[in-house]
Amino acid sequence: MPRHVRLIVLALAFVGVLVTLWPRLAASRIPGNHQGYAPSQPIDYSHRLHAGELGIDCQYCHFGAESSRHAGIPPANVCMNCHRSVKVGMGEKLAAEDAAKAEGRRLDPTTLISKQLQILYDHVAFDPKTGSWDAAKGQGPIRWNLIHRVPDFVYFDHRAHVRAGVDCQKCHGAIESMERVRQYSNLSMGWCVNCHRDAHANGIKGQPASPSIDCSACHY
Amino acid sequence: MDSRFASDRRDFLKWAGFSLTSLAVSGCGRAEEHEAVPFLDQPEEVKPGRATWYATTAPGCPSGCGVLAKYRDGRPVKLEPNEGHPLTGTGTCAACQASILGLYDSQRLQAPRMTGQTSTWDAIDAAIAAKLKAIRATGGAVRVLTPTVHGPTRRRAIGDFLAAFGDARHVMYDPVSSSALRDAHARVFGRAAIPWMHFDRARVIVSFDADFLGTWINPVGFARDYHAGRRLEGKAGEPFSRHIQLESWLSLTGCNADERHAVMPSERIEILAAVAERVAQHAGAEVPWPAGNAQTRLAPAVLDRMAAALTEADPGTSLIVCGANHPAEQTIAAWLNHQLGNYTAGGTLDLAAPCNHRLGDDAMLAALLEELEAGRVAALFIADANPVYDLPGGERLAALLADSSKLPLAVVMSGSLDETASAAPYVCPVPHALEQWDDGEPRGGVITTTQPVIRSLGATRPFVESLATWAGRPADARSQMQAAWRKDVLPRAAAGTSFDSLWHRAVHDGYTQLSTPAAATPAFDASKVIRRGSGPAGASQSLALVLYTKVGVGDGRGAHNPWLQELPDPVSKISWDNYAVLAPDRARTLGIETGDVIALDAGGKRIELAALVQPGVPHDAVAVALGYGRAGTDRFANVGPEWIESTPTVAEKSTVGVRASGLVALDGPYRALDGRAVTLEKAGARHELASSQLHHSLEVPKHLAGPNTDPRPIAEAVTLAAWREDPAAGAHTPHPKKPLWDPDHPYEDHHWHMAIDLSRCTGCSSCVIACQAENNVPVVGKDEMRRQRDMHWIRIDRYFDTDDASTTAVHQPMMCQHCDNAPCETVCPVLATVHSSEGLNQQVYNRCVGTRYCSNNCPYKVRRFNWFDYPRDDTLENMALNPDVTVRTRGVMEKCTFCVQRIQEGKQRAKSGGRPVRDADVQPACMQSCTAQAITFGDGNDPESGVSARMQDPRAYRVLEDVGVEPSVHYLRRVRNREKGHGHG
Repeated sequence: MPRHVRLIVLALAFVGVLVTLWPRLAASRIPGNHQGYAPSQPIDYSHRLHAGELGIDCQYCHFGAESSRHAGIPPANVCMNCHRSVKVGMGEKLAAEDAAKAEGRRLDPTTLISKQLQILYDHVAFDPKTGSWDAAKGQGPIRWNLIHRVPDFVYFDHRAHVRAGVDCQKCHGAIESMERVRQYSNLSMGWCVNCHRDAHANGIKGQPASPSIDCSACHY
Repeated sequence: MDSRFASDRRDFLKWAGFSLTSLAVSGCGRAEEHEAVPFLDQPEEVKPGRATWYATTAPGCPSGCGVLAKYRDGRPVKLEPNEGHPLTGTGTCAACQASILGLYDSQRLQAPRMTGQTSTWDAIDAAIAAKLKAIRATGGAVRVLTPTVHGPTRRRAIGDFLAAFGDARHVMYDPVSSSALRDAHARVFGRAAIPWMHFDRARVIVSFDADFLGTWINPVGFARDYHAGRRLEGKAGEPFSRHIQLESWLSLTGCNADERHAVMPSERIEILAAVAERVAQHAGAEVPWPAGNAQTRLAPAVLDRMAAALTEADPGTSLIVCGANHPAEQTIAAWLNHQLGNYTAGGTLDLAAPCNHRLGDDAMLAALLEELEAGRVAALFIADANPVYDLPGGERLAALLADSSKLPLAVVMSGSLDETASAAPYVCPVPHALEQWDDGEPRGGVITTTQPVIRSLGATRPFVESLATWAGRPADARSQMQAAWRKDVLPRAAAGTSFDSLWHRAVHDGYTQLSTPAAATPAFDASKVIRRGSGPAGASQSLALVLYTKVGVGDGRGAHNPWLQELPDPVSKISWDNYAVLAPDRARTLGIETGDVIALDAGGKRIELAALVQPGVPHDAVAVALGYGRAGTDRFANVGPEWIESTPTVAEKSTVGVRASGLVALDGPYRALDGRAVTLEKAGARHELASSQLHHSLEVPKHLAGPNTDPRPIAEAVTLAAWREDPAAGAHTPHPKKPLWDPDHPYEDHHWHMAIDLSRCTGCSSCVIACQAENNVPVVGKDEMRRQRDMHWIRIDRYFDTDDASTTAVHQPMMCQHCDNAPCETVCPVLATVHSSEGLNQQVYNRCVGTRYCSNNCPYKVRRFNWFDYPRDDTLENMALNPDVTVRTRGVMEKCTFCVQRIQEGKQRAKSGGRPVRDADVQPACMQSCTAQAITFGDGNDPESGVSARMQDPRAYRVLEDVGVEPSVHYLRRVRNREKGHGHG
């Protein structure tokens, strides 16, 4: 093969490889950046429904955000505050009613339990008849998949941010529209520091703020 | 090789390139999966990531420090002083700080054992109950042997258990006994009690071999009171006690004395008598013995001065303490105290609300051992004690425990399979103090509580529950405690107190104070004073053995704790060993150097251990620490990193140090730690001691110093007289200096500073262990310690202050000085150590590449390098790690951070309260644990802060100020109450 033909073939092959791999290459980022991570969870919990449609305050469930370093994954007893009574979603209830009407049978709406809630109930040994539950008799703790995670040498503190008036959405994105939670920000140090610098210059929601950019603000 | 599979260098590079690229691409893939597992039913007060504190009492230390257990994410992680506690309050001791690690000791007993085999509670209960039934039928003798028990619950449980038997007795003993002190008071006052010692009320303290700041009886409480009587904060006219120490080894207390004399144990009684005779003469009284026979080498002028100081003090404001376990000396000391009015109301000694820390009775113990030998005991229950190790006849006791023909039932209730437990046929594991309900009455009228902060990690059962079960009335420890309180505590509380309010208040606070009935001091019976000539072994001995305990492992209770083993002894600076301390001139005559193995022979009992040549020991004494040579300490063989040149910390089948309790002398029934005559010979071998004395030295090395180089002013000291004249006396005039950098750091918000009062620091090393617990400082092992690779962020530098007459020492805590012009920062090539806007010198682990330039450039030698990934394989032990501090990896530098995690937490706390940061918001671990309150930390920008006040003190100076690095740590010059003096250069 003449030399220049060989060069052209090689160049074409390179371009071909580049085009084929482009989506993958474009999506590649530095190790440790898990932006967009959206694992499946043991229960298909919907933030869109609870935080968006029903408008439940974030801190009703993530009650640690104001008083602890961790916002916290809510314990099952918080879920049970409502789901002791609410055992099925509106959609599932209507569908069941329609099916019962079509079949011409009577439906006792109190016996309806949604599939996803049943998982929760199994964990806490909920008895729908008596409305009682006992965590000690259930299947053990619910093992959620952790999404937002910073390295071990980083000490992020929710308290300071919540108290300073930073909206949850600033870091977590439009969580109230997410059916399944996805990591919105890249949680890199540059991203943190840029926001701190910006708050220094422009304040937080019009209030002056002085977030630290010392290393020991987060690393110790 | 088959040519088809042969590959050349180019192939290798191709494959290497391909694999690297694919690794890089695949590395950008999915996140490593982590789980988040919340509670199902979360208790209201528990929040992940947030600490809560529970008041309890620390195990492991003699004082029984009142502590708040810091509970974080399901487990206790740190013990912090319970500030309101009436006895220990301001701080803790090193052993107490380290006891949290004992909770997570994977070698604790997890299940009962019968005749060497793991058993179950049902089986062992059935076996013991059957034997007890037979004993009850035959009327055999039942004995319970424990260390000091002063808690109402345990006392009642033992009493109830023994009530069912005809011949029953509870025997208490203390590993280091103060039985003679109690018995002396029984003789002369008719009351068997150790009086409460008010060191705060004493203007003159004369101590004979009592290491009351280090290990004697209640060191934490004593240290707190001692410093309350030595104040330098106020006007120059405030009382400042004078402390004279006469001792036969160099103790921590002796290091701190204003005046110290090294005297032989046999001379002690002579000096006591001589001083008493002089005091009597001055008062026109008569001593109850033929006067004028005292024979001592101590100069008469010294005795005159001592007697003058005692008589010049107002009645009731002097204090003579004697640590020796000889009744004769204790009665003379009591006579002297009585003569000086110290037992009167408001005086330094209080018999109405006595000290219960040591209730052990040597006579009862001796009687028990005799009974055991004669086979007259049917059942022996040993709880929380290790007599096989502690007692000189331990080997014989072990044989008796195993001999069912002489002792049909021997039950040991112990937390670990120690020397005693492994000898006994029945072993019942007891929980750690942080896992159980308990109480105590360390001083008459002060009831302390212990509450569980974690569910028991093994199948253990509290001592009182076991006794109740065997008595046929099973009850859990909490209900037993409540029942005991209803019977024994409530009636003593103020009239009208309800049980619930008493109980809840006490459990919340960790203590309750009951009023003690005011009692007139009983009459002194001078005829009971014993004056006998010299010590037990005679004055003619050529070499006397002196046994003592160290602040770390103590009487051996801390021997299985790697933190305490690695803690350099504050006096000798040696870790992981005990040794025979010899005076320099004696060692010279014998041709012995530090590290030579010597054999000590005391009447056929022989131990071999390394020698340490150290000033401060009398010429004819050799001092050896107890508490070492515990069985099973070869577990620490590989406690440090393993690498090609490493040597194990302790040889397999060997022990850390040597057991010396076999050499304890018996003076009648009294176990005396000193006075035994020994012969010494060189064994010919060498044993390297891990001394950190010369590590990280700030002195100019001799070979580098010029002929006229002044000693560097590091640990400054001044006499009280000079300080009263001029509070700034002793100041070193720094050389004029030019700053290297412009002062362009404004420190607008906070500027963190620390101030350390050297007059208050006793060197007790509680801060070292508190820092280790707080900051996840690894244990490196003996070999690494020898290579100057210790990892402690705070070290206690010891500077001897020796003249011809006496040896004392200044202790100086040294940690990162957080210099404003930090020399470490300028040399870091990767900006891993940088200055914060609040004056902190920050070390960023994730940036550090380990050049060690910073450490090289540090004038204070306080930076520590991670030469290895130190072993963290024990996952149970890892539970003690502080979740708020990064565990550092190999190859990074680390150092004191001023507990920046606590600064951040304190700022958050202040912010949530909508107020500025106050002193109480931020307490570094070292400051918090310091009983003497030597360390102050705070915001130097706040003129109201405690640290600002101390920085303004005329005694304040900064170490190596001439270097011009502007350190943020100020030291307050040591003041000693002595006539003529000299500061250490």
